[in-house]
Amino acid sequence: MIFDVVKRSLQSASVLIPVEQLLGNCSGSRMPDVQPALLTASIARRVTEACPTSALAFDASRSHLTLNYGECTGCGRCIEVGEGAFLAAAKFARCGVSKEGLVRRFDLNRVSEITPDEPAMAETAERIRAILGRALNIREVDAGSCNGCEAEIIALTNPYYDLERFGIHFVASPKHADMLLVTGPVTRNMAEAVRQTYAATPSPRLVVAVGACGCAGGIFAGSHAVVGGVDAIIPVDGYVPGCPPTPAMLLTGILQVLHRRS
Amino acid sequence: MTKLSAERCPESAISDAFALLSSSNNRLVSIFGSLDEGGTRRVHYLVDVENREYRLLTTAVTGPIPSATRISPAATWYERELHDQYGVEIEGHPDLRPLLLHENWPGGVHPMVDDTSHVPWAQRQYPFLRVQGEGVCEVAVGPVHAGIIEPGHFRFSVVGDTVLHLELRHFYTHKGTEKLFQGTPVGNGPMVAESVSGDNCFAHAVAYCQAVENALGISVPPRGEAIRLVGLELERMLAHIADVGALCGDVGFTVPAVYNSRIKESLLQASARLLGTRFWKGVAVPGGVRRDLSADNARELREAVSLAARDFAEMAEIILDTPSVQNRFESTGILSADIVREMAAVGPVARASGIPLDVRRDHPYGRYREIPLEVPHFHYGDVLARARIRIEETRISARLIEETLGAMPAGAISSPFPGESAGEGFAAVESPRGELLYWVRLRQGHLARCHIKSPSFQNWPALPLAMPGNIIADFPLINKSFNLSYSGCDR
Repeated sequence: MIFDVVKRSLQSASVLIPVEQLLGNCSGSRMPDVQPALLTASIARRVTEACPTSALAFDASRSHLTLNYGECTGCGRCIEVGEGAFLAAAKFARCGVSKEGLVRRFDLNRVSEITPDEPAMAETAERIRAILGRALNIREVDAGSCNGCEAEIIALTNPYYDLERFGIHFVASPKHADMLLVTGPVTRNMAEAVRQTYAATPSPRLVVAVGACGCAGGIFAGSHAVVGGVDAIIPVDGYVPGCPPTPAMLLTGILQVLHRRS
Repeated sequence: MTKLSAERCPESAISDAFALLSSSNNRLVSIFGSLDEGGTRRVHYLVDVENREYRLLTTAVTGPIPSATRISPAATWYERELHDQYGVEIEGHPDLRPLLLHENWPGGVHPMVDDTSHVPWAQRQYPFLRVQGEGVCEVAVGPVHAGIIEPGHFRFSVVGDTVLHLELRHFYTHKGTEKLFQGTPVGNGPMVAESVSGDNCFAHAVAYCQAVENALGISVPPRGEAIRLVGLELERMLAHIADVGALCGDVGFTVPAVYNSRIKESLLQASARLLGTRFWKGVAVPGGVRRDLSADNARELREAVSLAARDFAEMAEIILDTPSVQNRFESTGILSADIVREMAAVGPVARASGIPLDVRRDHPYGRYREIPLEVPHFHYGDVLARARIRIEETRISARLIEETLGAMPAGAISSPFPGESAGEGFAAVESPRGELLYWVRLRQGHLARCHIKSPSFQNWPALPLAMPGNIIADFPLINKSFNLSYSGCDR
């Protein structure tokens, strides 16, 4: 009965994860990281061949390797063939960044990263409240996703992440929203609905493209029934890569977009 | 599972298929098209004969073919898809409106046979069925919904609160996946399969891998099969625990909804910790699996599953004892056994209406060949029955995982598979939503064709038949009790 439920719920210990442990966390996301010191031309060639998307590109003439997280589905093949130069990321802060911010470039001649990794955000709960003021209302829009991103967005509301603690709510209509969180490669059949949803959202409004598909079309890039990433249809303020991005990555991304715009 | 020989096209394939479908002992599994090497269209009928043998009948098509819809209403959407994708003319079909290709597609383009590199944008009309009479109103919902769910359109014809008719308009998430498969290296196939329906990604990957293994005659080592079973049953637990929680959320009973989301997250985090992936993406590969579980990891996963199953069982008991839940769940959205048979519905939806289909028992694969399986079923076909099915199955899945992890076979986790491979094959798994089947044709190490029979494509047309007489406010609850995948259906 209803009192048993309440009693049971009160008896269970809190599982809330402090925000400091969430920001930059990517456990279970399968995103790769790079050790520039261990990169060689043969590794660069091999990982680029193994990559099933165009996330990795190697320019042999200049010895430049590019890793575009926006196109990475986290399949882990680069880690398998990368002889230690590629490994599972322990931290990942490139969430909610610009499209250019998703890209890492390495110069193999100089054994260095041309664009050094951004330091993980060090936000505190107070700082987040200061940015948000009283609330942020998000309308989630599935523009053709496989529903993996939806599963992780829904997880943001569970007691581990408890998005409401920051004053962030999911709302039922774009007319109530400050931010659109858009998933999926935009399909031909959803393109018009995405345009209309954006038009119905009052300005100022923010758009966050979620997942490998939302960033650049993901595994569906090039399909005849897909238009492309979210920015093929509407302007995007920040990108959260991953297939799917974990709840911690989504939270990091949402806060990073606000941070960059504040 | 029968190994397929080289493709045969007997003259009588269509009449043989129709004869099979005329018997109430047989069930339509799928109808799909393909192109042979000469570019001739073929149509394949896949029938489950007496619940124990899949039979595939293939015919070459040059002109119109007769519709199977009058014999098996379950054929309706398959034939509409065939008409859209391959331009096959179907005689005697009651409704050949475009299914996958919305108003933005110009007429006369059939993506599986035509060049689709530059398809112009069109603005066609889609006629909805009109219900007429005094006091009849239409309520249009979607594709963008109020909750965090996938896009689809529901057109209700109501009198007051009571629904007279519901028409579905789906395929907003149609991504051309089956065409995208064509030309993909066999080894990359799991990545595409995992993106067909994200919350059932492991079932899709395993079904794809089994189809490839069937085509090439590869067997998976026992340890690989055991790990696959653990992943498949864990995915079922996640789906069912989340569904029962969401059903509570839909009747305003939020505490169990939140509690179940917590149980689900505990299992996702266990997978992240022990396998590096929350949803078991990247684990299944043709020939076996890519991640092993050490003895310590197996023990930890087993403990997490036992704890989750116990917490869920206790909460489920409370949920079913709550009068407000009983009031909303009981006798809501009844789907009769007759309709389940006619629409060839599968999975928990069929089992809740007294039709105990389960691929794991009826067409066993992998580790399920060796274990007796309990298949619970209920007869009422209402929201309550569909909730209870999920509660029972969560308990059974947890037990299967515990038993498997407690006695893991030693040895390799995968067998090598040849790069330059060719052949045809198919395989089915019981996904959390029901029978999921992949049919593949391989040529020179690449996919020449891949057809996905998704349980959601099969079950969506049955949902509107559970609606008449219910009030529109109960639709979210009834819809959730089916919990079908839009992306899995739309592909």
